[in-house]
Amino acid sequence: MKPPPFEYRSAHDSAEAVNLLTEYGDDAKILAGGQSLVPLMNFRMARPSVLIDINQTHDMTHIRADDGHLVVGAMTRQRVLERDQTAGSAVPLLPAALAHSGHTTNRNRGTFGGSLAHADPAAELPTVLVALGGELTVQGPSGKRTVPAEDFFLAPLVTSLEYNEILLSARLPRLPQGTGVRVEELARRHGDFAIVSVMAAVHLDSNGRADLVRIAAGGVDSTPIRLHEAEAQLSGTALDDAGIDAAAVAAADSVHPTDDVHGSASYRLEMVRVLVARAIRSAITHQKEGHR
Amino acid sequence: MTTTTEPKSTKYAGKPQPGIDDPSLLTGSSTYMDDITVPRMIEGAVLRSPVAHARITRIDVSKALELPGVFDVITGNDLVEIAGEQPVIWYPIPEQRIARAHALATDTVRWVGQGVAAVAAVDRYVAEDALELIEVDYEPLPVVADLEQALAPDAPKLYEDWPDNISGSMTLTAGDADAAFAEADVVVGASFRHHPGYGCPIETRGCISNWDVFSGRLDVWLGTQSPNLARELFAQVLSVPVSKVRVRTPEIGGGFGLKFDFYPEGVIAAILSRRSKRPVKLLEDRQESFVASSRSRDMRHDFEMALRSDGTILGLRGTAYGVLGGALGTVGSGPPWASVLTSMGPYKIPNQELTLKAVMTNRSPYGSYRGWGVPKGNIVHERLIELAARKLGMSRIELRRMNFPAPEEFPYFSGAAFTFDSGRYADCLDLATSAVEERGWNELQREGREAGRSIGIGYGFHIEPGAYGPSRVLNMVGLDHSGFDEVYVRMDSAGKVTVLSGQISTGQGTHTTYAQLVAEGLGVPIEDVTVVTGDTESCPYTGYGTGGSRAATLGGAAIVNATGRLKSKILRIGAELLEADPEDLELEDGRVSVRGAADSSVSTADIGYSAYRMLNGRLPESETPTLEEVDVFDPANMTTSYACTALLVEVDRQTGAVKLLDCLQAHDAGVIINPLLADGQLAGGLAQAFGGGLFEEFVYDDDGQIRTASFMDYLIPSATDIPPFHFYHQETPAPHIPGGMKGLGEAGTIAGVSVVGSAIDDALSDLGVTVCEFPMTPPRLLELIRAAQSGEATT
Repeated sequence: MKPPPFEYRSAHDSAEAVNLLTEYGDDAKILAGGQSLVPLMNFRMARPSVLIDINQTHDMTHIRADDGHLVVGAMTRQRVLERDQTAGSAVPLLPAALAHSGHTTNRNRGTFGGSLAHADPAAELPTVLVALGGELTVQGPSGKRTVPAEDFFLAPLVTSLEYNEILLSARLPRLPQGTGVRVEELARRHGDFAIVSVMAAVHLDSNGRADLVRIAAGGVDSTPIRLHEAEAQLSGTALDDAGIDAAAVAAADSVHPTDDVHGSASYRLEMVRVLVARAIRSAITHQKEGHR
Repeated sequence: MTTTTEPKSTKYAGKPQPGIDDPSLLTGSSTYMDDITVPRMIEGAVLRSPVAHARITRIDVSKALELPGVFDVITGNDLVEIAGEQPVIWYPIPEQRIARAHALATDTVRWVGQGVAAVAAVDRYVAEDALELIEVDYEPLPVVADLEQALAPDAPKLYEDWPDNISGSMTLTAGDADAAFAEADVVVGASFRHHPGYGCPIETRGCISNWDVFSGRLDVWLGTQSPNLARELFAQVLSVPVSKVRVRTPEIGGGFGLKFDFYPEGVIAAILSRRSKRPVKLLEDRQESFVASSRSRDMRHDFEMALRSDGTILGLRGTAYGVLGGALGTVGSGPPWASVLTSMGPYKIPNQELTLKAVMTNRSPYGSYRGWGVPKGNIVHERLIELAARKLGMSRIELRRMNFPAPEEFPYFSGAAFTFDSGRYADCLDLATSAVEERGWNELQREGREAGRSIGIGYGFHIEPGAYGPSRVLNMVGLDHSGFDEVYVRMDSAGKVTVLSGQISTGQGTHTTYAQLVAEGLGVPIEDVTVVTGDTESCPYTGYGTGGSRAATLGGAAIVNATGRLKSKILRIGAELLEADPEDLELEDGRVSVRGAADSSVSTADIGYSAYRMLNGRLPESETPTLEEVDVFDPANMTTSYACTALLVEVDRQTGAVKLLDCLQAHDAGVIINPLLADGQLAGGLAQAFGGGLFEEFVYDDDGQIRTASFMDYLIPSATDIPPFHFYHQETPAPHIPGGMKGLGEAGTIAGVSVVGSAIDDALSDLGVTVCEFPMTPPRLLELIRAAQSGEATT
């Protein structure tokens, strides 16, 4: 479990990182927190000939909120984001999801952008981005572009980043005050990759009808999946039990899981149904408790 | 903590002495294998087979040899010029076909991960780079991926000259099982499956071998639980005199039986060292450990129990299948054999017919893991007795109680090999059930159920054979090694004490308990005692090794004997110095004094001075100089400790997930030397067993590929997965062990698997679920729940 030889370069800002990526092409890999890349290199499953270390960059580590959005720099450590009050109050789903993301020591080192760019379909942060319709800001040699989360994640460990592009930051819509959120995650042990995770955000208007429903599932397809059909069924309703159960069935119909050692595809499908229903109900409880 | 025997007046023995190694262990100043470098050392790596069954048609190492930094590359053909086959030391099955292999494959590979070639290079990075340059052509052979495939009538064979894949089988009988089953009112049976896992020490295995061709000496640092055995086996495999082999052990970061076995890597490193004329370090990395360290637990037991309607057990019969690998490991089919020997558990079962079949598959070799087969024997008797209680409509507690041998029936012959030394099983059961009551579990369960939660309470009673064992008996049942233990206890010229033992410390506290026994036995401060282990050149011989729950029992007994004799000598010398009768003297806190006259005393320093330096006028003419006693203890019988374990769980019926809420154990291991360390052993063992019960599994595909070769997929329980533990002790001394200790190192691993099944069953009692398979993963349990809900039988 030792990596093959590689060259090491350190970038001082995002522009330098893009230049280095352009110089070395597909043989280069960005080193952020290293929580996934370094094990993969030690297993010799990833074999970059050049590592471009962006831990010394100064322009990619920030958390900013305005009226409409939360913007998080890619090099923000996950643990910092988890404990940041601005981020937590703008998007309470973030700290709830991060609590399931590995262990504290992983999050101390692991970065927000690293998890997104790694694009594991069972990872929490990509699922949050997809659930809330986040947008990713990417920089290449000719400038910046913005990619909606659902277009960014293409396949397991594959994103729409070009070889010479780097993820700068991501933007999440601020959730209305009092939105109930819930992360339901089935993992064999706390901190493991999810067998199935479901992220939900629900807001009820003064008449008790849902004016915001966001749901996504992780671990059950080649990317995190926004559960549009379930959202549509629930939006504008009073979220009664029959409606929630029907939406949970619809959710299971919109994902395509595969088998692995921790659960078969059919087990995962059944768990999507169970966890979507639980997540919606818990999110409602969360909103109601929050208003008390 | 509850002790049902009268507390003795002791200063050290029986006290919760913190581990004497703890400060250095906890501050990271201890030396483990990877901390050691020796001058001129280089590092090795092993190329492992990527396929489960194939003929090697070509190996080309030339490109690897050309890589800068590479010292040597060897293949199986190079190895056999120097080394014989890997040893097998257990032959419990008469006329068994013993499939041996060399440390590197020569023509055929029979499991994924079998060593094919090895490299020595300037460091591990270069060594791994060189592995990628070795070219091997494999001609695939049909793969026998699991037990069922191995037993199929048209199964491909692992060994062409064998009639089938069965290495051997044997049947142990007591009474007349057929008659018992014919006259029984009730018969319960099931097929129990424990999937493969391993001991998984956090420190993987490793060694540094230095084979000096000029002196002929092989000097090995080895992470092993059995330095004396390793020395014997190095000598045997490499054809060198035992006297030329030195084995030293650094601190061991967990052994768990896995580090008892004798592995290919030690031999490979020795040969690389001899050829490159350099010391070679060879460490197993985590990924390798899943295919290169002993695979364990992998068994199926098809067993049934016969009872009268009043609950009396009449008979037990069945067949156990040990899923061996592509070749036999050091202990052969020993653990599967032990599972059969203990399948009757603590119950009086007059009629038994117990069959063992050892079956070869294209998996890695089967070997030792804490518990050594007994956890699966425990699954058989504990799951069957609960099935019987359910069928008879009796209390599972009372059914157990009524079938125990009474205290006065000990020593009690179990019917198959073991004779249990002493026991108060019913008292232990009561201790556990009253603790369950005390902790309010029954109310918690009732309240939980009213709130719609599926709360269950599991029970398990286990026996633990320890103090392995009487040497001649072990030889008779097929062990090519002994079971005695030897110890040196030495007081030096300054009156301080050094105890040397062939046992080693794996972090379990051997050094601390030995220091306690010496301090107590002699009457010296514990700070005056130094424990030395881990060097075959200076430490005495132990049969077997540190395993089989023998460190406290056998090493401890030898210390009790040796310190007793040394104390007598110290008192005789003290008598000379004090001009008193030895009978009137006592030795406490390092001073020999006349009883009742404290001002008339000498220190152990005075005694040491008289025995080593100033003999004239101080050492009695009748005494030999020096203060040293040697004791060799070979037990008359093994010990049998036992416990009743209870576990509180909650099951999620929608996901199949199980949460462990609380756990307690009422335990009897005879006289406890150190309750703090004892509880640590019990808790650690239970945690490992819960791993086997719920989490840990080597998963293989149809090609024999292991799909769980990292900690991402092989799931050892972490602190958040383990319940709180509460331990209760009673002490029924081992009658034939000086000091009265029984083994307890394996208690938790034996007790903790079946009790998971018991607790889950109880949580789902309305459904009638029976857990027969371990680990019971969420998907497996959900399937059982669904089957029960749709009215299908689950056994």
